[in-house]
Amino acid sequence: MNDMIERVVIVGGGTAGWLAASLIASSRRAKAAPLSITLVEAPDVPIVGVGEGTWPTIRQTLATIGLDEGDFLAACDGAFKQASRFDGWLDGSAGDSYLHPFTTPPAVPTGELLAAWQTSAPDQPFAAAMSAQAAVCNLHLAPRQRAMPDYQGATNYAYHFATEKFGALLARHAKQSPLITHILDHVTGVRHADNGDIAALTTRSGREIAGDLFIDCSGFKGLLIGDALDVEWIDRSEHAFNDRAIASQVPVPPGSPIASQTIATAHEAGWIWDIGLPSRRGIGCVYSSRFMDAERAETILRDYIARELPGAAPETKAFGVPFKHISFRTGHRARFWERNCISIGLAAGFIEPLEASAIVLIELSLRALTDNFPADRAAMDIHAGRFNKLFRYRWDRIVEFLKLHYVLSRREEPYWRAHRDPQHIPPHLTEMLALWKNQPPSAWDFPYVDEIFSAQSHQYILYGMGFPAPAGWPATDRATAALAEMRQRARTLAAGLPTNRIYLDALAADRAAAEPERVE
Amino acid sequence: MTQHATLDSHAHRELRVRVDAGADLGDAVMATLTVPNEFRNVQGHFPILFRREMGQGDFTALAMFGFEAGENLFLDGDRWDARYRPLSLAIQPFLIGRPASGDGPGQVHIDLGHPRIAADGEGVRLFDVDGVATPYLDDIAGRLGDLDEGYRASGAFFDALCDFELLEPFSLEVTLDDGSVHSLVGFHIIDEAKLQALDADALGRLHAGGHLMPIFMALASLSQLSALVARKNCRLASG
Repeated sequence: MNDMIERVVIVGGGTAGWLAASLIASSRRAKAAPLSITLVEAPDVPIVGVGEGTWPTIRQTLATIGLDEGDFLAACDGAFKQASRFDGWLDGSAGDSYLHPFTTPPAVPTGELLAAWQTSAPDQPFAAAMSAQAAVCNLHLAPRQRAMPDYQGATNYAYHFATEKFGALLARHAKQSPLITHILDHVTGVRHADNGDIAALTTRSGREIAGDLFIDCSGFKGLLIGDALDVEWIDRSEHAFNDRAIASQVPVPPGSPIASQTIATAHEAGWIWDIGLPSRRGIGCVYSSRFMDAERAETILRDYIARELPGAAPETKAFGVPFKHISFRTGHRARFWERNCISIGLAAGFIEPLEASAIVLIELSLRALTDNFPADRAAMDIHAGRFNKLFRYRWDRIVEFLKLHYVLSRREEPYWRAHRDPQHIPPHLTEMLALWKNQPPSAWDFPYVDEIFSAQSHQYILYGMGFPAPAGWPATDRATAALAEMRQRARTLAAGLPTNRIYLDALAADRAAAEPERVE
Repeated sequence: MTQHATLDSHAHRELRVRVDAGADLGDAVMATLTVPNEFRNVQGHFPILFRREMGQGDFTALAMFGFEAGENLFLDGDRWDARYRPLSLAIQPFLIGRPASGDGPGQVHIDLGHPRIAADGEGVRLFDVDGVATPYLDDIAGRLGDLDEGYRASGAFFDALCDFELLEPFSLEVTLDDGSVHSLVGFHIIDEAKLQALDADALGRLHAGGHLMPIFMALASLSQLSALVARKNCRLASG
């Protein structure tokens, strides 16, 4: 029997499935080894669409699969995301707001930067002192000029986009690859090999789809990793309380400003997301059913929309924007790679989209796979062991990073007090917080390659929420100079960058003029 | 059409200027004016030639980009293919204005009819939202000052060149790889033989006037002529 890995079978035609097909195909382009990729997609199954926010890794992903940035933005109603902003998370008072920008602080030891910040500009928010991106975000500016080469910016950035359009674009693009076969059929079960591996999928139309490596992108269902291989689900709701969301989309008037960041506004038992696209804002309410009922959550969402978009507010439904109620469980598989099956996307795990971790986890899973593609069945178990260890580590870090946003809060509602209850805080996070009293988060705390949330991300949350800067470092000249340079850079960027609206409207006009025959 | 206005932080608060390169932005020129205090920066990239404008007695110095009108061999589509842009090009669409009374401190004027005035919200702002000059405008003001100072000093420089008869007519005829012949006529360069023959007293006077450095820089710039010919051949080869 031939043990080489030559047939990849992907189950699921959502973001994870098409990204998997595209990235595996791209990674094989230059190599001689034969490889076939089959993507099986159930017809008429709605795509969940994991969040409309991404992480800067998405730029490399899109470039790798060969998409033109302008085409992508125009096709997906896309906009730039340069940060996350957290309103009302500290105590809910007026002006309670801080930013987690994608551009990191200057490359000067953090202790010195903190001292220089406290000495020279103590009234300035941490993010504004450390990154010119704060000024760019405040002015609704794009991270780049249109003349710049694709995927390069004056600041670090990712995107917001319409998930359903992104999925369609990925599918259109992937279908052009000669390596990828697309099958529309319902997977009904699997045929196991003697050793317990998955040998083939069986389908409703009676097909049998054999493969060497199976990728489960079937969403929450986990058709292969769960149903077929019975890998345990680890529940994380003890630390992450939220288990419900209400999603809505509100159209915006032409010419209105497009925010440069995701806005997450805290409420009494969760938070509201607000994601600006050229044509609409995606607004939704995340909450914990233990602390709030659906009716109250709808009221909170409606009030927010009324406040933010007065014209659209009370008759949201009249705009054809029904509230969509979603229930989710927070957790992940005990193992993500089991035998000859890897789970990616929702099949692997889910947590609230507070820091847009869903798509970046898909990208990192696929990078780990394509960089370490098993040549034969014997290599697979070695890769699987490493993969499982790495992604278990990543899930722990994600859970703890999201939790950090809650434990630093001083809000007094029962939900928020429960978040700060020591028994609901991961012990490792408690340890880290103890260390960070004496030293800022550093690479010692986050030593892996491709940490999703780096030491710098943790600094933006900690000091954005008023965590005391550790004493003992001097405000060195180099740190003071770096912050002064940052202020000047903020002014330069503010002068040179177009607004998001101007950029995206000009891009759309260019595309319309160049290809009048192509209608989406 | 030109349309000059005095720059004003209220009237021009939202104005943006395009700082990219392109023929449609006025960059398709075979030469641009340069001034002695700039020769040091120019000579590393462009030949500097002198020209007496028709019907005028005064010489001007030019940084050369091409061999015929409208030809700029340093403009590659929308890319400026050199690490330096001479001041007179870099400051567009700005200029120095002076009060009608004559002398006095220069003011920053802007040509609102210039193609670099951005109509579409892209380009670089001159003032931030609070009306404070942006780093871009600060930089432009510095360059305008340098250019103005250089322009005022140009008279004395050319007077000195004429006094010592250091200018000689220059024409260049180049046969390119495809056999075509291009020529530059009607220009002047520094007469190197006469410069070599100057005595210590003359050199001392030129040096005291600050003219010696730009004279040598202008001479040095002539080594860029062969680079310019190479660019022309390169462009012919790529069709």
